[in-house]
Amino acid sequence: MNSRKMGPVELLHMSVFSQSFSPCGRFLAAGNNYGEIAVFSLSAALSPDASEGSQKPILNFTAHDGPVFSLLSTDTHLLSAGNGEISAWSWAELIKKNTKAAWTRKPNYETSLEIPEINAMIINPKDNSLTVGGGDNNIHIMDMETGIFKSVLKGHTDYIHCLCFKEREGEILSGGEDGAVRIWDSRTNRPVHCIEVFKYEECARPQFGKWISCLATDSDWMLCGGGPSLSLWHLRSMSPTSVFPLPGCQREAVFYQDLIMSVGEGPNVSHCLHGGTVKAQIPCSPSSLNTLALNLKNTEHRVMTVGGSSHQIDVFTNFSYRAFSLSF
Amino acid sequence: MPFCESFEQLGRFHNSLLGVSDAPFVPKGFLNEVIRKRLLIDGDGAGDDRRINVLMKSFSKWCHSNFSPEEGFSQYQRMLTSLAQCEFSMGKTLLVYNMNLKEMENYEAIYADIETSITSAHEKIAECKKEIQRAKRIRKNRQEYDALARVIKQHPDRHETLKQLEALDKELQQLSHIKENVEDKLELRKKQFHVLLTTIQELQQTLENDEKMDSDDTQESLMDNGD
Repeated sequence: MNSRKMGPVELLHMSVFSQSFSPCGRFLAAGNNYGEIAVFSLSAALSPDASEGSQKPILNFTAHDGPVFSLLSTDTHLLSAGNGEISAWSWAELIKKNTKAAWTRKPNYETSLEIPEINAMIINPKDNSLTVGGGDNNIHIMDMETGIFKSVLKGHTDYIHCLCFKEREGEILSGGEDGAVRIWDSRTNRPVHCIEVFKYEECARPQFGKWISCLATDSDWMLCGGGPSLSLWHLRSMSPTSVFPLPGCQREAVFYQDLIMSVGEGPNVSHCLHGGTVKAQIPCSPSSLNTLALNLKNTEHRVMTVGGSSHQIDVFTNFSYRAFSLSF
Repeated sequence: MPFCESFEQLGRFHNSLLGVSDAPFVPKGFLNEVIRKRLLIDGDGAGDDRRINVLMKSFSKWCHSNFSPEEGFSQYQRMLTSLAQCEFSMGKTLLVYNMNLKEMENYEAIYADIETSITSAHEKIAECKKEIQRAKRIRKNRQEYDALARVIKQHPDRHETLKQLEALDKELQQLSHIKENVEDKLELRKKQFHVLLTTIQELQQTLENDEKMDSDDTQESLMDNGD
């Protein structure tokens, strides 16, 4: 099952960069910096007679040459992005331990000298297209049915960290190393707004930089953070309404019911309220966290999982404390 | 014998408790014997059974053998006491049986009560969960409202700004009025000066012309006189 024997030094240097739950909600796929994807069975790990073995992956294979920075699940497939290429794996096949990719595609890069990494992927459900952003400063849009890369959104001056989609207006939000959050209309593929977060005094933290590494939206509200502090923006008035006093740089944030949960530097998951207060900081085993995922598709296995600079992925059944850890 | 049936039932029950059924290494007959021996040694039913047998034997002995009247009477008394004892124990077991029946009924009632309270507790839990969801939504909305209100408060009041704008407008109007007046005055003065200057120039011209004419006249008259 293990494609490569992991020595203790390699386990020590492992970082988990991405996670994705299966469409049925019973499996979790996680990607690490060695290019491997591990599939864990949540139903086995959460069952009352779970043992040490159920916290190990049911399947572990090398998917890409470089680190797997982004994982995304559609209704039938798991999409993974490595160094410049996107591979799709059928969930049904993965559960049966068959690791043959359904397809592998590359966006059209301008230069063929460098192969830029892909940092973020999102699906636009309205026209069934896959939007990817990465190291070549551009956003590529691919049609899922035909596999053709139909458009490129240019505008960022440095690589793109994160992407987000606003369902109601059909807008794509992208955050990058150049410190700008750009909003694009997905139908006309034209830029609509550009917010330079580091120019706002209340958010800016020049000691960390101006890069934006996390984005999340909830109808009219947007969360963004990274070098500048994590802040909540009201998109209609394009103004920051609350700034969260979190010490480190945040790498992923989500809206959940009435809370905002974010992970980043520091071994904590922070629970914050919309007003700007940090309600709680829950300790985790990795020393810094890269990814947070919520399994909302399945009510039985409603868990939150976080991964970071450790070979362990913490699982929270009650979001206020760590229940147990899965390990690669 | 009625006891044999119950022994068999007990034996089967014992088997099922042990989790064996027709298992070869624990024969049913052996278990039955064990249970039978246990009940005979410990159970109260053994004492009564023996007493009834003894009574029957002593009765038949009393009927058939020849006793002296005193001995016969004492035997008779003994039999009566043992009969009374048997009746007493029978009454006792009947009462215990009724008590057990009543306890069963009581337990059934309690069981039904607990069932209903469990279902109502489940319902309450579901209600409370819905309430919590609602409360969370309300809290989120309040927080969003507060956040927006804070931003709006930072900007100045609309009425104030409108008033300021009106005042500034009025000032502007007044000043432009004044400017117009001043310009009109300037125009008028310019025109007046212009008129004055042109009349002076004309007068100068006429005076010069007059002078010239005068000098011409005198020259002509001198020339006339010379001729």
